Amino acid sequence: MVALVVVVTFVVLLLGVLVAGLLRSHADILRSLHELGVGVGDPAETSEQSSARSAPPRLPTWSESSSTLGPAPTVAGVTPAGDARAIAVDNADGFTLLAFLSSGCTTCAAFWDALQAPESLELPQGTRVAIVTKGPDREIPTEVSRLATGRVPVVMSTEAWLEYEVPGSPFFVLVDGASGSTVGQGVAPHVEQLLDLIRRAEHDRGRPYGTSRRPSARRNGPEREADADEVLQMAGIRPGDPSLYPQTLKDVFPFGTSSTNSSNGGPSARAE
Amino acid sequence: MATIRAHGIAAQLPRRFEGRIFIRPASVGVSYPVGQFATFPIPDDIGDFGSGAVTSMGPDDVFATLFEYGPESLGTALFSSQGRPSSLSPDDFSPVRLRRGIPGQSGTQRFFTEAGRPFSFYAVLGSHIRRNSLVPNVNELISSLSITPASTPPPEVAPRWN
Repeated sequence: MVALVVVVTFVVLLLGVLVAGLLRSHADILRSLHELGVGVGDPAETSEQSSARSAPPRLPTWSESSSTLGPAPTVAGVTPAGDARAIAVDNADGFTLLAFLSSGCTTCAAFWDALQAPESLELPQGTRVAIVTKGPDREIPTEVSRLATGRVPVVMSTEAWLEYEVPGSPFFVLVDGASGSTVGQGVAPHVEQLLDLIRRAEHDRGRPYGTSRRPSARRNGPEREADADEVLQMAGIRPGDPSLYPQTLKDVFPFGTSSTNSSNGGPSARAE
Repeated sequence: MATIRAHGIAAQLPRRFEGRIFIRPASVGVSYPVGQFATFPIPDDIGDFGSGAVTSMGPDDVFATLFEYGPESLGTALFSSQGRPSSLSPDDFSPVRLRRGIPGQSGTQRFFTEAGRPFSFYAVLGSHIRRNSLVPNVNELISSLSITPASTPPPEVAPRWN
């Protein structure tokens, strides 16, 4: 009888330990769910320390500040074919997007494909795309050559990775060519997210798409025509507007036809 | 300043300049190194002397090509000048010296031999009127160039049937 009582007591204690272990495991699971943002119960009950830990995993970020990111150096290196290539980021009016990619990273694969067809990305007008891999000392040129289509410059330069302090691939740097300064840098897991970040940078710069501070001599005929159309539309002049089809001289110089100030026709005279 | 180096040619690029030094794949025969330098983005698919690029130059831009010829040019009168020009003057530039006349632009071309290699240096200014302010940029580029003897002479390959 005494032996039976001892055995039963031991079994009860063992079961108690098992139940305590299960409860603790359950609590751990609930805490983990809380940390992932799908927990049950009152989130306010979580402690300050727990709140700090419970921040969702950091998504790739994009920092934007021309004042803090500073001037961007020229990217110089070699091409996969062994030629030399340098890309200045301060000699054009538009953005230059430097995409620091690797031949082996799976996340980079989508960017290799998308960035080498920049016309399909609807980037801000004048944006130049260049892909930068590490140099031949860290990358296999034949692998890079296999990925490169020749449609955008591909430069292999470990020095550029060091100068731009690239933490890993994929990593992107957006440079404003007019100022030669970096206006944004960071990582983006998807092409769409990268494009959003670029457009946001364009918006923050306060210069609408398609406007240029450089002389229009750089642009070809259709681009100049598109610019003129855009300026006219911003002024409220749309296709078919009568002002586009003057019939008389008065339509062109409505203030310069009076007998007293038409002698010189200058702006000051017309303004009177 | 960024430095690029390939095929026995090096350039320490002045500010705003970018460049490339390459050998164009030859469909027939042998091709030789070409260096292209510009103060504007150089498209990848332009001609050796800038066709396809000079049309998009702004008035403050400069484009230059260092073009190497084959060894058969060595010793000829055209390449008798030893060494690249030390500097160019605004008078060296003229609209009529452009390989392709584009209104407003100006150009010059010099032939010379350096390090046992025959070259021509061709430069285009975006504006002939502004040549006084643009030529110093060209001279800065010229002084930054470095040419070393070809390590191995390119093989003489004549066109032939496979």
